[in-house]
Amino acid sequence: MAGSLAPVFEPGFFSSSPVHVALIVGGVVAIVSGVVGTFTVMRGQAFAGHSLADIGTAGGSAAFLVGVSPLYGFVTMNLIAAGAMELIGIRRPRGRDLATGIVLGAALGLAALFLYLDTTHSSTTGATINVLFGSIFEFPSSLVPVIATFSVVATGIVLLSYRPLLLSSLSPDLAAARGVPVRLVGIGYLVSLAVAVSLSAVTIGAILSTALLIGPAAAALRITKRAPLAMAIAAAAGVAATWLGILLAYDSYDWAPGHRGWPVSFFVVTLVFAFYLVIHMSIGRSHGHGHPSVGTGAA
Amino acid sequence: MIGSLALGACSSTSSGHGITTNGRIIRVVAAENEYGNVAAQIGGKYVNVTSVENNPNTDPHSYEVSPGVARAVSAAQLVIQNGVGYDAFMTKIESASANSKRQVIDVQNLLRLPDSTPNPHLWYDPKTMPKVANSLAADFATLQPTNASYFKTNAATFIASLQPWLAAIARFKATYPNTPVATTEPVADYMLEASGAHNLTPFGFQADIMNGVDPSPQDVTLQTGLFADHKVKVFVYNQQVTDSLTGTFITAAKKAGIPVIGVYETMPVPGFNYQSWMLAEVEALQKAVADKISTVKL
Repeated sequence: MAGSLAPVFEPGFFSSSPVHVALIVGGVVAIVSGVVGTFTVMRGQAFAGHSLADIGTAGGSAAFLVGVSPLYGFVTMNLIAAGAMELIGIRRPRGRDLATGIVLGAALGLAALFLYLDTTHSSTTGATINVLFGSIFEFPSSLVPVIATFSVVATGIVLLSYRPLLLSSLSPDLAAARGVPVRLVGIGYLVSLAVAVSLSAVTIGAILSTALLIGPAAAALRITKRAPLAMAIAAAAGVAATWLGILLAYDSYDWAPGHRGWPVSFFVVTLVFAFYLVIHMSIGRSHGHGHPSVGTGAA
Repeated sequence: MIGSLALGACSSTSSGHGITTNGRIIRVVAAENEYGNVAAQIGGKYVNVTSVENNPNTDPHSYEVSPGVARAVSAAQLVIQNGVGYDAFMTKIESASANSKRQVIDVQNLLRLPDSTPNPHLWYDPKTMPKVANSLAADFATLQPTNASYFKTNAATFIASLQPWLAAIARFKATYPNTPVATTEPVADYMLEASGAHNLTPFGFQADIMNGVDPSPQDVTLQTGLFADHKVKVFVYNQQVTDSLTGTFITAAKKAGIPVIGVYETMPVPGFNYQSWMLAEVEALQKAVADKISTVKL
């Protein structure tokens, strides 16, 4: 580093079209992840969220066989998986992990088959890395409107069902007693989770996508118990981690082993982890427990 | 001319007419069908060639070994492979079924190339196959000394039959010196180099596509600029390794009116032998530069 500001932004960063697309897609996806992820953490569905991401690999790898963008494969597979998890019994706390785990195992088996077929019977060498670890710099700009549409759907469901969703997330029994259609709200939420995980998967890869969904939201919920503020902090932190990750990946072009660049997903996930760690250390254990109350959350 | 070509991993074809009076048929396994084809031309009626890599729709870099290949190698008297890590699976199978009598031609070793050789697609280099042909003739002669002169004659015939290809390369180089080109992968780079073409795509980019990882945004921007700014006369992409990214480059090239050529990593079958395939690739290059005609499939 020469000491000036120039090395912060490598030449061509602001004029590069792959960077533009990455910044737009990464930013939008980070906002969706922050909004949806806050409820994922509050509902204790982090494992379901991660499992959906892993299950999505089957869809992403199948998309390569069919010849469409992995985005469609992730969304399709995740919606099917969310439906299956709901049917098997994600509502019952005891059956939830079991249902998720069973669907997860079957889907990863399919992913193994599809990735094998991708590399041996169709001419797509990069399928495995693309599906598992993301490919944000190679994201086609023609799909940006599709990303925007899915983002509106995922955040729209959460915001439209905000109050009943919050109540049933904090206390399903109380919500049911007050006449909230808990199951319907839960299904709506699972749909937005499935879409959010799919969006995150095309950004930083299927197996890393939970990091963006859970990390900023978990840290935000340690800072505040108020759900709207937590969603805003999670979205802002996610956008910061994603954009900084994109910048670092761009700059890493000149790093060892030279003229290749390091993967974006590595930087994003590391920054999210560092953010969570800093919040965790500075706030301490005593404040971090218990659920946010309905009253403050709705304030 | 030997008409039959190497077939599937588990099947094989004899280029001769069964057992001859001079003794048994030599069983040959070739890691890639272009080497298998040359082995069949040199061995003629005394060899039976099985090729492992022969599907133009798959990427040879990501090949997985089947038990059928292992069986074929353990029964083979001669194995021919590319080396440079391109077909490392062959070395593993050979050591798993050790046989001191088996001849192994490793083209990398034959050409005395270091392991660090960045571009493994040695068969596109015009200097490669004459040496391979002579080496095959020598090894076949060791296995069947009575037919030594037959193999030697076939090798000489084969080397002579490369002339139209070499002449086409020389003609292109003289007519269109320093032609700027863009590529996705280094697959045909040796031939482009011999043709005097100047490949403006950074090698790091080509290696990333070859290895199935995402190229850096800097390289993608540079590559896109080659088309938008009309810096190249032709875009040479690997027909066997495509994805949405290489697809966008093909679109960008076509939009800029730059002809594209889909080159093959393994020999396309049926319809080609090694020398006619290589000649077709140079002719496609010639047509692209001279007449702006694209060749997506041979």
